[in-house]
Amino acid sequence: MPAPVSDSSPSGALVLSSSVDREVVYPIRHEVKPPIARLSISWARGNSFRVSIFKQQCGDNSAGSDDGEVGGQVLEVKIRNGDTEISAAEFRRIAYGSVSPFALLQSRKNMVLGLSKMSMGLSQFNPDGWEYIAEYSKDVSSILGNPKSLPSSAIEDPLEILKKVEEPTCLKAAWELMDVFYADKQSHWWLNERLVDWLAEYDSVLLTRQSTIHSKLFNFQKELDDLQVVEDNPSYWDVISSALAVGWQEIVVKMLRLHGSYQLDQLSNRETENGLVEAVAVLISKMPRMRPELDSGRLGECFKTKPDFTKAWEKWRSQITKLDGSAFWVYCAHVQTREGLRNMLQIILGNVESLSGATCNWMELYISQLLYVRPFTMGLESMYNLAERCMQLKKTSNTDRLMRLMIGILGESTEVVLAECSRGFGPWMVTHAMELLTEESDQVEVLLHEELHDLGGISIEELHRLVYAQVLCSHAFTWQIAPIYLTSCAKQGIGFLETLLYNQPVQHNGMLLKNLEICRLYELDGLSSNIMKIAGVYHWKHGRKAFGVFWLRKARDEVRLNKIALQLFDSVGKSISDESFKQWEGLIELLGSESKNTGGLEFLHKYRDFKKSLHQVHHKGKTTGVVQSAVDSLIALMKNPSTPQRFWLPILNDSLKLIDWHEGPLLNVEQTNLLLNKLQELSMARLRPDFVESDLTPLALSSIRLALAKNLGRAFLEG
Amino acid sequence: MEKAMATFDKGTVCSAWNYSASRLVTGSADGTVVVFDSLDPSSSSTSLTRTSNFKAHEAAIFKIVWVPPEYGDSIACICSDGSSSLWEEVVEDAQPLQWKLSKHFKSNSSQILDIQFGNSSSGLKMIAAFSDGNVKVYELMDPLDLKSWQLQAEFQNVIDSISTVRKAACLSASISWNPNRGERQQSSFVLAFRSDTPQLDSAKVWEFDRAHQRWLPVAELALEADKGDGVYAVAWAQNIGRPYEVIAVATQKGIAIWRLGLNPDSDGRLSTERVALLSGHNSEVWDMEWDMGGMTLASTGKDGMVRLWQSNLNGVWHQHAAFEPTS
Repeated sequence: MPAPVSDSSPSGALVLSSSVDREVVYPIRHEVKPPIARLSISWARGNSFRVSIFKQQCGDNSAGSDDGEVGGQVLEVKIRNGDTEISAAEFRRIAYGSVSPFALLQSRKNMVLGLSKMSMGLSQFNPDGWEYIAEYSKDVSSILGNPKSLPSSAIEDPLEILKKVEEPTCLKAAWELMDVFYADKQSHWWLNERLVDWLAEYDSVLLTRQSTIHSKLFNFQKELDDLQVVEDNPSYWDVISSALAVGWQEIVVKMLRLHGSYQLDQLSNRETENGLVEAVAVLISKMPRMRPELDSGRLGECFKTKPDFTKAWEKWRSQITKLDGSAFWVYCAHVQTREGLRNMLQIILGNVESLSGATCNWMELYISQLLYVRPFTMGLESMYNLAERCMQLKKTSNTDRLMRLMIGILGESTEVVLAECSRGFGPWMVTHAMELLTEESDQVEVLLHEELHDLGGISIEELHRLVYAQVLCSHAFTWQIAPIYLTSCAKQGIGFLETLLYNQPVQHNGMLLKNLEICRLYELDGLSSNIMKIAGVYHWKHGRKAFGVFWLRKARDEVRLNKIALQLFDSVGKSISDESFKQWEGLIELLGSESKNTGGLEFLHKYRDFKKSLHQVHHKGKTTGVVQSAVDSLIALMKNPSTPQRFWLPILNDSLKLIDWHEGPLLNVEQTNLLLNKLQELSMARLRPDFVESDLTPLALSSIRLALAKNLGRAFLEG
Repeated sequence: MEKAMATFDKGTVCSAWNYSASRLVTGSADGTVVVFDSLDPSSSSTSLTRTSNFKAHEAAIFKIVWVPPEYGDSIACICSDGSSSLWEEVVEDAQPLQWKLSKHFKSNSSQILDIQFGNSSSGLKMIAAFSDGNVKVYELMDPLDLKSWQLQAEFQNVIDSISTVRKAACLSASISWNPNRGERQQSSFVLAFRSDTPQLDSAKVWEFDRAHQRWLPVAELALEADKGDGVYAVAWAQNIGRPYEVIAVATQKGIAIWRLGLNPDSDGRLSTERVALLSGHNSEVWDMEWDMGGMTLASTGKDGMVRLWQSNLNGVWHQHAAFEPTS
């Protein structure tokens, strides 16, 4: 029964059931006591969302009645489709590992595409296109883990029939299955044997409610130590014939040698029996196999061409038939041995009933038929019919995802294969497995690349990549690799990437720089300046003014920079402390002068120079050079048309000391007149409605007037 | 699997996440705002820390909306007394970080029901929907100062200006901006009401006509028979490259998924097509939001459920998953 698996997932993500039944309701457990007033929902990055739960307000709001009770809670729910078996950390490892094979394959594909566009026939430059796919498949497969034998003791345990290996994963099994059919085209001539190998490795991960041959062997192994006379035990023969049915000949031979007739004290009494056991063992270990080679320790004789194999097979079969018809069976006194061995011969001879009896599910039955009934089948011809017949013989509810994938593959239906990859193994699998399919045929090509209006104009290939990228975005550790997949999406990838980058927080400088680097890499200039703008405003508003200005300048945000310049005007004419003057000066420096609307900024720069020299006058005193440069700045500032009128009076007020210089007039007649004229202009301007009155006291104005008049008089006298 | 992020005080009634989903604000019945932050957004930890709280209103806050990040860390609180206020997080001079009131919006005659901000190339715009059926568009005058707003336009949510409604009483309003950024993008939003006046209710898409500097209704998202149905919520999906826009409109009849054409006809109207009517909540829809790719719609409703909706490869919409919060 497909059921919510939220509790069993080790990944910390809620895995949606692959069931067609969409009425399954997943619980979200929280601490808010009912009644609930409202639920609010918001997506976080990627595939996670946040639910805010608000408690209903109680009618009596008397304090203390329900102290300590929470008024609501916010929870994050991460969702993931498909695989429950892989932990979050393992998923991240796989996600990171598969980036480079994927990227390499994409770049090779693009290169080939580029070459073919230049009408340099594909075959000329890429005769080995399939090699790229095969290499990619191998690379990805190695990321999914290699079944390593655990370190074993030097002395082989004669009772150890099953080698202890690290538990393989279903995901790896699925990938390998795809590899057998789609990637490794070179090995299609020995497809049968590849499937035998595949089952040998992954029989343990087939999830059926019935046992598998692997589980039978596993259980028998546990009993083995306590068994005195193995051949009397029916499960001994049962397990042997099962192992034989799916071609695990090493195990079969090893188990046969456990037969009691091999024991020295019994050899003489059970000579015939032992002879038969040994004969079967020898024949099994000599089984001809249509494959390039066998790993050391594995039994059989390899043949690379069909004629050689056929010849050897016929000969081997005739030996089996001969043994089957041998007269010695009559002299075999041990019933179980006689029955067991003859059943084994029936299996080898392809007796469907025996095969069916020895196997646990249709997949095992199917492999056994490939081995013994149709050893000469090559490629995919009529494989589906055979599988169908096996399924009829071994009726099951058929819920295992590997088996469903197998049916899809044998049925040569790309839609089903993709759907099973996606349903059973999740977005990672379907995204990466699609690459294996693309080389298949034109029909597959159309299926994967046709732009569908209902999908918003994207292809199925792009859809799956986007979905996978979204999964990557869900986690802080994996979002950085999402761009690799997004940029392989022609239609919506960049839009998706922009959304992803826009939604990254800017507060942390390291993250901000990383974000901007990704923008630069993919030439997202508009987005990049938008992000810098956000960062600039953030820092400006949070009191880090210089940082703010820095980012706003990088974003070339003229509007905001000018507003900042205007804010700086506010300090004009005010007596400010040394510290804040430095800060203010620094900001003007940062604002730069290259900005287009330089009016305001030019004034600020001039004003800064003036303030600086005035500052020096106040501190360093009377050096003529210093004083003179202050006067020059003052005159430059007052002459400049960009100096706003409202600042004239404050500037003059600042300069009182200069105008009324105790050692004699610093301004000549012409300069004094200029300043007086400005004062005159001001009093005229006062009549206009838009005039801005400065905050200076009327007294200040009189002192300026007086000082200027005094200076003018002295200047006349000196001149 | 769910992970608790934070618990709220008694009396909390609404919450809102900021653009990066790293800050959460909540509003409560006594007018208090609480700010939560995830202290290290780069880590995978989900727990939030309470960083500020302040009293924003005397009356209850029933909705909080974030201002786009280009304008700082600011929120708008919509209050049950009909007013609303803009608050901004700032550090000024030597003072510590604080939330400061930037602007208080108040209308004597009617209440503010919903507010949404739209960031266009010409600056920040704020749409406010009022209980008398009026819609006001304000523009921010100075991008660094959230105090200075100017009323740009005022209109009613009707498709032709002849049918102006004199007196209307609206229960709720929902606004959703076209979330797509980009320089060439026209400013547009979808707006709907739940009121006693049928012509105001149906969701209408409004677009700013730059040439004539006015807002025009370019589409109505309701079938002829459903035009008087009050709308609970609207949500405009992110469009990252589709040749059409997707907008969800929730009414008593369910959540309708609309496709909106991109190119106007000779009357300036956009083509509309209702591609699905999703029933599931079978009652009031509280909240709807599209995911980052604009492919999955999440909704919550009075049935107490969270539901996710998706289209399959053939464009058929269905419920993707359902979640039931349980204590």
